[in-house]
Amino acid sequence: MSDIVVDLEVNGVRYERTVPARLSLADFLRDSLGLTGTHLGCEHGVCGSCTVLVDGRSARSCLLLAAQVSGATVRTVEGLAESDGSPGTVQSALARHGGIQCGFCTPGFVVALTELVAEGKELDEEEIREALSGNICRCTGYHGAIAAAVELTGPDPGCAGCDQECGS
Amino acid sequence: MSANENARVAPLVGQHVQRGEDLRFATGQGRFVADHVSTTTLHAVFLRATQAAGQIRSIDTLAARDCPGVLAVLTGTDLAGTLAPIGALHEPNEAFVDAFSFQMADIAIPCLVTDRVHYVGEPVAVVVAESRAMAEDAAELIDVDYTPGTAVTTPQAALEPAAPRVHEHLPDNIAASLRGGFGDVPAASKGAAHRVTGRFRMGRHSGVPLECRGVVASWDPARGRVDVRTSTQVPHFVRTAICASTGWSVSEVHVSTPDVGGGFGPKANVYAEEVVIAYLARLLGREVAWLEDRAEHFVASAQGRDQHLDAELAVDSTGHIVSWSVEFLADVGAGSLWVAGITANTALHSVGAYRVPHFQVVGTAVYTNKTIVAQYRGAGRPEACFALERCLDMAAEAAGISRLEIRERNLLRAEELPKRLPLPYRDGVPITYDGADFRRCLRACEQRLPDDLLDTLRARYPGMYLGSGVATYVEATGRGPYESATVRLLADGTFEVGVGSACAGQSHETTFAQIAADALGVPMSAVRVRTGDTDAVADGIGSFASRSAVVGGSAVHRVCSQLRARARELVARCLGIEQDSEHEPTWSEVGRLLAPGGELAEQAPLSVTGTFEPPTVTWTMGAHLAVVGVAPETGIARVLHYVVAHEGGVEINPTVVLGQIRGGVAQGIGGILLEEFDYADDGQPATATFAEYLLPGSCDVPPVDVVHLPGPAQLNPIGVKGVGESGTIAVYAAVASAIEDALSCPAGTLTSTPVLPSTMLDIAESSVDASV
Repeated sequence: MSDIVVDLEVNGVRYERTVPARLSLADFLRDSLGLTGTHLGCEHGVCGSCTVLVDGRSARSCLLLAAQVSGATVRTVEGLAESDGSPGTVQSALARHGGIQCGFCTPGFVVALTELVAEGKELDEEEIREALSGNICRCTGYHGAIAAAVELTGPDPGCAGCDQECGS
Repeated sequence: MSANENARVAPLVGQHVQRGEDLRFATGQGRFVADHVSTTTLHAVFLRATQAAGQIRSIDTLAARDCPGVLAVLTGTDLAGTLAPIGALHEPNEAFVDAFSFQMADIAIPCLVTDRVHYVGEPVAVVVAESRAMAEDAAELIDVDYTPGTAVTTPQAALEPAAPRVHEHLPDNIAASLRGGFGDVPAASKGAAHRVTGRFRMGRHSGVPLECRGVVASWDPARGRVDVRTSTQVPHFVRTAICASTGWSVSEVHVSTPDVGGGFGPKANVYAEEVVIAYLARLLGREVAWLEDRAEHFVASAQGRDQHLDAELAVDSTGHIVSWSVEFLADVGAGSLWVAGITANTALHSVGAYRVPHFQVVGTAVYTNKTIVAQYRGAGRPEACFALERCLDMAAEAAGISRLEIRERNLLRAEELPKRLPLPYRDGVPITYDGADFRRCLRACEQRLPDDLLDTLRARYPGMYLGSGVATYVEATGRGPYESATVRLLADGTFEVGVGSACAGQSHETTFAQIAADALGVPMSAVRVRTGDTDAVADGIGSFASRSAVVGGSAVHRVCSQLRARARELVARCLGIEQDSEHEPTWSEVGRLLAPGGELAEQAPLSVTGTFEPPTVTWTMGAHLAVVGVAPETGIARVLHYVVAHEGGVEINPTVVLGQIRGGVAQGIGGILLEEFDYADDGQPATATFAEYLLPGSCDVPPVDVVHLPGPAQLNPIGVKGVGESGTIAVYAAVASAIEDALSCPAGTLTSTPVLPSTMLDIAESSVDASV
């Protein structure tokens, strides 16, 4: 089994590691770096739980090899919290709108929503649903994730029409 | 305790309290079972049967044993006599057994098979290696020589007299049977104005949690016990099963749950893998992990539904129900530890929310060569609901009244409730619908569908055929026999609460803390909740059957109330300070007084452990309304709007209740439109990835409007009813009805799930042909 040297930045930290060529990015993040916030729900690129940002774009870490992202900048759910560990804007919005139940799909949604917000487009609900359609949530029925996205991408931050009494 | 730093007056129960769990989940700090694996953990991989039926002639493990990094390769033969098979998890009460002539085959699920395989995916051998990749590489080298047998994959085929038997030791393929009812259906139906019949099938699908199963076990030589972390809804059942299979005593097994990434029933089961991994950890004296992958989950985790129902509904000329009879076959695959619960649920929920003078149900659970079955959200109830509600739509058409009107006429009214049925529940207690007014749920649904909403949706989706449908359900929630809880005051004035109900995403840390804080009179920040751990409470049942809030919540309330009373008694007796006096100490002062060196150090610590045993189940009822659009050119249906109006009890946390209902609706939509585990005739599974087994995504689940109508809940001290399955049960029937409305086809056209685009396309085309 051949090994390969990877050199990449993850959540602001540079890592140089020798890894098996067949190691997926997800396994590298979880097992080599201990970043277990990236979850493996299907390992065939459908469920979206393992979504991370690679050079700012969302990517399925289960379908990438660690070797493929050498030289890239990767951000995982852990890298999207505030520097003191408190939740970031997207993370807070998801929680506030009741978008989390078991928490397993949550990291993927946090990453997908972060990318969506970074695009800076004003989206209607239908466009938001389409944009989040690569992430599966089995618990919530998507209500909270969509409400969070409406808040984060809408013209008027706040949660008009939200029935969670989230107080924002 | 007194007005002090911990005092709080406003109750937390009933508030939209934000979940305590969310901070760790949102920031990636949740710790699920796979996150508990370290670099020194050994990995187990199961080799699984590739044949649905047949004999194992031989297993050659030599090459696998020779692989680098492999520590153990074990087959069923190696474990025979060491690990006993796993037995049933539920047996109904005698009164139920008598009333329904209930019979159940003697079933036990082997940990690893020895000579005969029963379904594709059944564990045949296990490999333990230094890494998962090494274990997988080695498992590939195991050579199993099968003599293929003939698989049976439908219950009808399995009941043929000449059918091959799934289990050789049994006389036939019948897993369980029951028969019961009241009145005289044949006599009553004879004179009815309208008799409608239907043959229904609910496809095989299941919870499919986003986190697969997994077990990490290690041997603790200091305490002489195995620590088992498993992604389960029922840690105490897992401990019982490990003890029963291995012969170890309860003190030798500690089971706990990490964060659990969804359960929905398949994880409210006990599995061979849990027993085998615990055994291997002790055998090897090392930490051993088994992490199910998705491909494995499709064949190895318990599945659900898969029922065939023949039903006849008789109504009079005005649409009032005369009689109702159902005969169903439940395909439980190669076995189910929950066969009694599932068949009983279908039978006991068949009467629905209606006035039914004559009722008869006959149910048979049947073995086939398919994956094992457990409960799945609703667990037999959606099937019962589907048959009854579909027949009501047909009867409405026959009687010339609307689908709403037939329900309005037959739903139990306020003056008829509570309603006692002449049937015992599974616990032996006669069924009593402890509801307030079933018609108001239907009316609430109607009110949430103003005409302009349909116009708005038509304008938004101009190419679609739109239709609406309704369905109602009843659900027995909060079943016993008990749940246990414990609370203790810590020296800093905070509390640790333990509950037997494990959490798989249902917000237990938050909702149980709300209940505890109210009972103790403290803020939530003073309460830590620990669930899913056999060390937290010695006994427990677990989370399933919409029971945790009701039974676990009541147990929390009880022990916390008792602890508060005991503290007051202690303070009055030892310090001479009366309740509510201005001198009453704070909880942290009491904690310090009780600590070593404190004035009360000689007194027993403030700790209460107890159980709550509900007298019987508490029933919920609700109505669902779906608006569906069907694209005529593709046959793809999309649920555009959804309303659930339900009669529940006190809402501990309305945000959590909304989440349970909306999530339940999403799963129902998956079941009626997308999800099915498909099998070829030889028992080979045809759904092995999420490309074949489709889960509802963000475009498939509409906004769900929820109307909560409080109903009486007098069977528990906190006035709660279960809600975990309320969102799912009636979705199938409501959406099917809406599709028929959209396609303007006769009621009862849709009889099986999932309703596929090809079916809708055929209907759309034939109705166009008919209209030409």
